Amino acid sequence: MAAPVYPAWVTRWVSGQWRQKKRPPVIRPTRPLVLADKVANRREQAGEATCITEMSVMMACWKQNEFSDTACAEEIRTFYDCVAKAEKERRAQNEEDTLTARGNLTSSKVNKLLRRFPQLTRYV
Amino acid sequence: MAAPSVAGLGRRLRAWLPRLTQVRWSRYNPSFIEPEVNKELYRKPQEELSEEEKEKLELKAVQPIKAAPPSVSSSVFSDPMISKFTNMMMKDGNKVLARSLMAQTLEAIKRKQLEKYHKAPEDEKETIECNPYVIFHQALKNCQPIIGLSSITKGGKTYQVPVPLKDNRKRFLAMKWLITECRENKNRRMLMPEKLSQELLQAFNNEGPIIKKKHVLHKMAEANRAYAHFRWW
Repeated sequence: MAAPVYPAWVTRWVSGQWRQKKRPPVIRPTRPLVLADKVANRREQAGEATCITEMSVMMACWKQNEFSDTACAEEIRTFYDCVAKAEKERRAQNEEDTLTARGNLTSSKVNKLLRRFPQLTRYV
Repeated sequence: MAAPSVAGLGRRLRAWLPRLTQVRWSRYNPSFIEPEVNKELYRKPQEELSEEEKEKLELKAVQPIKAAPPSVSSSVFSDPMISKFTNMMMKDGNKVLARSLMAQTLEAIKRKQLEKYHKAPEDEKETIECNPYVIFHQALKNCQPIIGLSSITKGGKTYQVPVPLKDNRKRFLAMKWLITECRENKNRRMLMPEKLSQELLQAFNNEGPIIKKKHVLHKMAEANRAYAHFRWW
């Protein structure tokens, strides 16, 4: 008779591999294994303050002319233009279906999508 | 089929019971469009309309339209800024009183300006502005702050950071300052229209306590300009 070929688990059992730490993990799930309809909030990269140069120019003008608005009308206008531009850029950046620099969606956008297509819990 | 859950029953019961407080959101179907109150658009003859306007008119014939709220009107005398100011002056829903006060204020401004006009020499008569609506708008524009301060907490400490304001916020602040100034710093016997007309004329000439308050805000923003980098928007 040739040497009997035992199944792999017999060899592993006999070798005592399982009696030490290398036991197959036995996980008893406490909750049903169902994906939630939301992801955790991820802290997005904080942006920088916009229009600081215009603001400082306007404040310098104010200091010279005792805070009168008529004398500094030009600087105030440039400041307003800069603010409007920054606001538009911000809105375009935060629009839906845009990815961040890394190619991800923000957690709020993902949550919105998941709320539209929730996980089915019942058999329909 | 699963039996109806207790939570579902509770939710359905709560939806059926009437609300105790009013809702502040609108309950129109999203397909409803806003009403067009501007009469000029309807007076235009058919030929002058551009393609997109013709399309819009055709669409309006079939789509449902929301009811126009009582605050908007298509009259030439209605002004949205004046309506907003009247609403802010109103107390306990007494719109009749607020509107009459506003009318008396505009009348008082007109009277004062006419008095000045008739007393002034010939060459100065053109510089005096008599239209109370123009004075109101210009005074409000002069009272609007350009940057505001916002409290930002960083590292446990709160700083007052200079921040650009939105248009709505500027208008609101100007109107709020005007109304609080007139309510608090006046003689007990002086009536509101007189005090308001006084403040509006002072603001029109870039003087007075509200302009001073605006300057104080600007000075504080200028003093705190080092913290401007704490903003993240």
